[in-house]
Amino acid sequence: MRVQEIMSTKVETIKPTSSLRATARTLSNLNVGALPVVDDGKLVGIITDRDLSVFAIAIGRDPQSTEVQKVMSKEVYTCNENQDIDEAAQIMKLHNIRRLAVLDEADSISGIISIDDIAHVSHELAGTILEHSQAIH
Amino acid sequence: MKIKDIMSTNVVSISPTTSTKEAAHIMHDLHIGVLPVIDNNEIVGMITDRDICCKVIAIGRGAGWTKVEEVMTKDVTTCFDDQDITAASNLMMSNHVRRLAVTDHNNTMVGLLSVDDLARNSHDLASCVLEAATQQH
Repeated sequence: MRVQEIMSTKVETIKPTSSLRATARTLSNLNVGALPVVDDGKLVGIITDRDLSVFAIAIGRDPQSTEVQKVMSKEVYTCNENQDIDEAAQIMKLHNIRRLAVLDEADSISGIISIDDIAHVSHELAGTILEHSQAIH
Repeated sequence: MKIKDIMSTNVVSISPTTSTKEAAHIMHDLHIGVLPVIDNNEIVGMITDRDICCKVIAIGRGAGWTKVEEVMTKDVTTCFDDQDITAASNLMMSNHVRRLAVTDHNNTMVGLLSVDDLARNSHDLASCVLEAATQQH
């Protein structure tokens, strides 16, 4: 099964210059845990609810004046929409993450695949990713 | 298998009057996303990294002056340590959560059980929880 068959395609993105506060509002309103950060059509990072709360506070950033690009993960793990879901699961497992940005042929973001999407089609693959997770709880 | 066989027992908790800033620091230092909130030896809530994102940062509150009790989830889903792990999976599914507070029969919290803990024992039980999730990605 290919990634594009199970990924979320209605993905909102934000700009690197958005404030942490505005980004938090978007994450909250959309009921999502992560947003791709896109500049000029190019994927430059990913921001999660955890990055902008725990990490930003821990390093003493003000949510109103700090831009997302200061706290986002710049190393974004991606897969291609034509890849097999087994490969996407391997990437998640290897990097201990639960979502991947999905790119199309032109390297533009076309979706996000999460461990939840994988669970819908394979309990085995999703279980293996979780099992290797490093978080304590 | 019983919940007590697979739960995390080394659980760090926090008091309701602690600031969310301090909570964020603890989550950052310990690499965790949730803290049980304990008052007089009783569990009164749970606070997550997402709570700090959506209920503190998103609405422009200061993490330094917002107390944990103002934004924690008070409706904590709990289970008993001697229940079967299948019951835990069912509870997570029906409440759309990925972690449970575990108590003994004196209502003292004795651990936390996460979907990751479930995955280490049953890919099926864990994946059913992921499938029941309401968050999009």
